[in-house]
This record gives sequence, C-alpha cells and structure tokens, in this order.
Amino acid sequence: MSARSGNGPGILFDRVDLTLGRTAILERVSLSVAPGAVHAVVGPNGGGKSSLIRALLGQAPHRGTIRLDWPGDGPGTVAYVPQAVEFDRGLPLTVEDFLAVLCQRRPAFLGPDRRLGYGEALARVGMAGKGRRRFGALSGGERQRVLLAQALIPAPDLIILDEPMTALDEAGVAIFESLLAGLTAAGTTILWVEHDLAQVRRLATRVSGLNRRVLFDGPPADMLSPEQVLDLFSAVPRRKAEAEASRPAARRMAS
Amino acid sequence: MSFETLRALIQGWAGAGLLPAGLTHGFLVNALLSGLVIGPVLGGLGTLVVTKRLAFFSEAVGHAALTGVAIGILVGEPYTGPYASLFGYCLLFALLVNYTRNRSNLTSDTLIGVFLSVSLALGASLLLILASRVNIHILENVLFGSVLTVDDRDLTVLLVVALGVTALMLPLFNRLLLASFNPALARVRGVPVKGLDYLFIVLVTVVTVASVKIIGAILVGALLVIPAAAARVVATSLRGFFLLSVAFASVAAVAGILLPVQLALPVPSGGAIILAAGLLFLGALLARFVTRGEEG
Repeated sequence: MSARSGNGPGILFDRVDLTLGRTAILERVSLSVAPGAVHAVVGPNGGGKSSLIRALLGQAPHRGTIRLDWPGDGPGTVAYVPQAVEFDRGLPLTVEDFLAVLCQRRPAFLGPDRRLGYGEALARVGMAGKGRRRFGALSGGERQRVLLAQALIPAPDLIILDEPMTALDEAGVAIFESLLAGLTAAGTTILWVEHDLAQVRRLATRVSGLNRRVLFDGPPADMLSPEQVLDLFSAVPRRKAEAEASRPAARRMAS
Repeated sequence: MSFETLRALIQGWAGAGLLPAGLTHGFLVNALLSGLVIGPVLGGLGTLVVTKRLAFFSEAVGHAALTGVAIGILVGEPYTGPYASLFGYCLLFALLVNYTRNRSNLTSDTLIGVFLSVSLALGASLLLILASRVNIHILENVLFGSVLTVDDRDLTVLLVVALGVTALMLPLFNRLLLASFNPALARVRGVPVKGLDYLFIVLVTVVTVASVKIIGAILVGALLVIPAAAARVVATSLRGFFLLSVAFASVAAVAGILLPVQLALPVPSGGAIILAAGLLFLGALLARFVTRGEEG
C-alpha cells in the first residue's frame, strides 16, 4: 500500500460553538492542528471531545469556522476510526467482508477485491491471516485493530481517531504506536482523541485540553503537568474557580 | 420474448412431460413466473432488512397494503389490481414512519406498532364500508395471495419493480449496510446516510407492494424476513448469507406456488409460500444445532 507523502492538511477551529438543546457542549473553541502533526485532544467525559470530531466531520451543527487547509489542488483522503461499530454480533460477516463493505463499491457478497490490499492492512495491525474470522467473534481489541485497518484503505492524508486505544491490549498498543509512526512518516495529519495521558505524552506532538472550552494547547511535555491535568479533569477548573473566587475581593479593592 | 410466447413455451414443455403437469394451465405459469421474478429479489433485499433490523417495518408495510387496496376500491380502481392506491398509500405510510422515527424519541418498534395499528384500523373500517360494493370474499386474495389472479399486467409490474430494485440494490449494497454499522464512519466514506435510509425504505415498499398479488398483504413481509433469517442461521460469510437467502426465497416461492396445485391442497399461494419458507427456516435451525451445537 503506497502512502502519499506530505499531503496532510492543517485544520483550523476558530471560535467553534456547539449547543445541544440548552446545553453548551463547546464554547469558543479555537485550535490549530498543523499539517503532519499528531495532535491529541484530551479531557474528561462529556468535555466535548467526540462532539469536536463530529463537528469536524460535518455531522454536528455548530457556529464558528472549521477549515481544512489541504496542500495541493484538492482535498485528500480522510479516514475515521470510531470507538466502536454497532452491529449484530451474530451476523455472518467475516473480517474481510467487513473491510469490503467499507472500502469497495463491488457488492461485498461477491467477495473482497484483493487489489485494495486488505491483507496488507490487516498485517499492519497484527491481524494477518484473520481475514476469514467472523467479525462478531473477535475480541474488543481485535475489532479495534480491524477498525484501524479500515482507516488505512486507501492511504489517508488525514486520520481522525476517536479513543482508538480503549480496547487494545499490550500488543495492540505496540502496533498502534508503530502505525502512528508510519503515518507520521508519510506526512499524514493525525487528530487523536484519547484518555490515556501517558500515551499522549509519549506519542503526540501537540496536545489540547478540552473541557467545553480549550484549557491548554501546546507540546505534551509542557502541557501535561499535574496542575494542568487536575484543572482539566476538575468539574470546575481550579484556576477558573480561583478567578471567580477572587472577583469579589478584587471588586472590594477597586471600590 | 412476450409473456404470451414464454407461457406457450412452458405450457408446451409441461404438456410434453418435461415440467409438472399443472403448468399446462396458463394461470399457474403466470404465478410461477412471478415467483421466479420476485423470489430472488425478496431474498436479496431481505438480507439488508434483517441486518438493518427492519423486519417489523417490512411486515407493517405489507399490512398497510390492505388499506391501500381499500382506498383503491373506494376511489374506483379495479379491485384486482389497484396499483396506484397500493403504491401511493404504502409509500406514504413507509415514508411517514421513517420521517417520524428520525424525529421522535420513541423506539422503532413502538412507533411502527402505532402506525401499523392505525393503518389496519383505517383499512378494516374502509373495507366494511365497501362491503356492499364488492364481493368481500375477493379480498381474501388480497390478504393471502392467489395464483389465479396474476395477469400480464401484474407480471409487468413485478418485472419492472424487480429490475429497478435490483439495479439500485446491487451497486448500493455495501453503502446500505455500512450506514447501519456506524453512520459517522459511513458519512466519512462518502455515504449519504439519510438519503440511502429513505431509498431503502422505498425499495422495500415497492417490492412488497408488487408482491402482494401473489403472496398477499398479510404474509408478504414474511418472505423478506424468513429466508434471510434462515440464511443468517447457517451462513458463515456475507456471500453465503446473500446467496442462501436468495436461494431460500426462490425455492419457497416456487414450492409455494406449485405444490398446492400438484398436491390438490386448498391452500392460498401466500400461505403455502410462507409455510415453505418456514420449513426452510426450521431446516436451517436444525442444521445449525447438528453442526455447531447449542451455542454454535
């Protein structure tokens, strides 16, 4: 499978607001993802990480601007790895059938189109030789690997990962790391929603902390300090709480 | 080749003893042709119906045909083939169910249950009002199907619908399936999820309506579900699932049309077709128990 080199786009989120009913999910979110970066988005559950992805994919109505700046003439290939797929576990669907449903036009029941490189993609995620296994009978980690494999067909220029390591075992984590390295070498832009901060610190080139709004954004080594992380995962970010607590005092001093 | 020529050919083969003797009757040849046309389409589409968990929906659309027939007779269409009202009402019913499903907080089965009940109530009321206008026993044909009433017009409708549905279903098969796995992933892959959702509803509806004449309004939905369910039980791959479902639906359709005539059983074609499909389902379950054990 040939990876195109250096075709990853830059992504700009500019004052993005997303509201569901009366609940603000994202407020004035401004972020810039550099071309070819491994940009992680971390934050608590309900902090808006998945909503940010849905907004980027054009699947959530939002205000503000989300722009993909593609190098060259036209848009490249976007791949998406969801947390999970909903399907009947008893469905007679092999791993290759699943890839065929996703990746080819020819009806999947006529068999996989070998030219698309399903075997190679499965080998890259450590699933070589498992193409004929029933998809519903795979473990959670194996299914997650297959979801990663589908994202490699065709070779992506932008890959959006929604907590891809949730179900991965130790071997799966190692494969994910090598996959990430390969994609980075090919110039693919990677936007990666993740909850495992240790992995983010090791693998990401930049990290944004999101809890409805962007609380920090920068290199992981600088950003993922205990204090910042505590802020991010607090129900009310500490510095915001401190700022609000200090307001009456400031007002008293001013008067 | 016209239907007339094809009919004469089959009748000739039957007369020469190459085919069952019952096929010397033109009406049975018509019924057989309609079964051969619609069986494979129902079987193929059924795999998507089962995968997308729309079995109850397809049953409801079939039942809505009863009301469609009643409306057709009310507005003066021939009771032997009120296609304008059948297609019109069933499409309206299906699209309305789908539209509401996407906008209400009710589960699909609850919502379909409500629409189905109201539609049946409307159909039953209209039929009672119309009881004085037509021989109400003729409506048994609509409810349970009849091999006696299939004419060239019905065959043409079936053929057009079968070709149209196949032409759309085959190239869109993967996309229709993917949309049910993960809509977000499907959209990233360029699948217009909502549009295909409606298209699939339309495909199921037109196939169902076109099959009402031979299978009957009460049972037509079952031929979308039972062969696919039987295939799902024994198949180990998508290829097996699809091909077995097509084969089971075709065999059930042909057996249900021919066997009652051959065995002189006073059974409506719809009932016989679904009973044949039911036997295949039972056989599939037994085969699974035998080959894979209870947990299989």
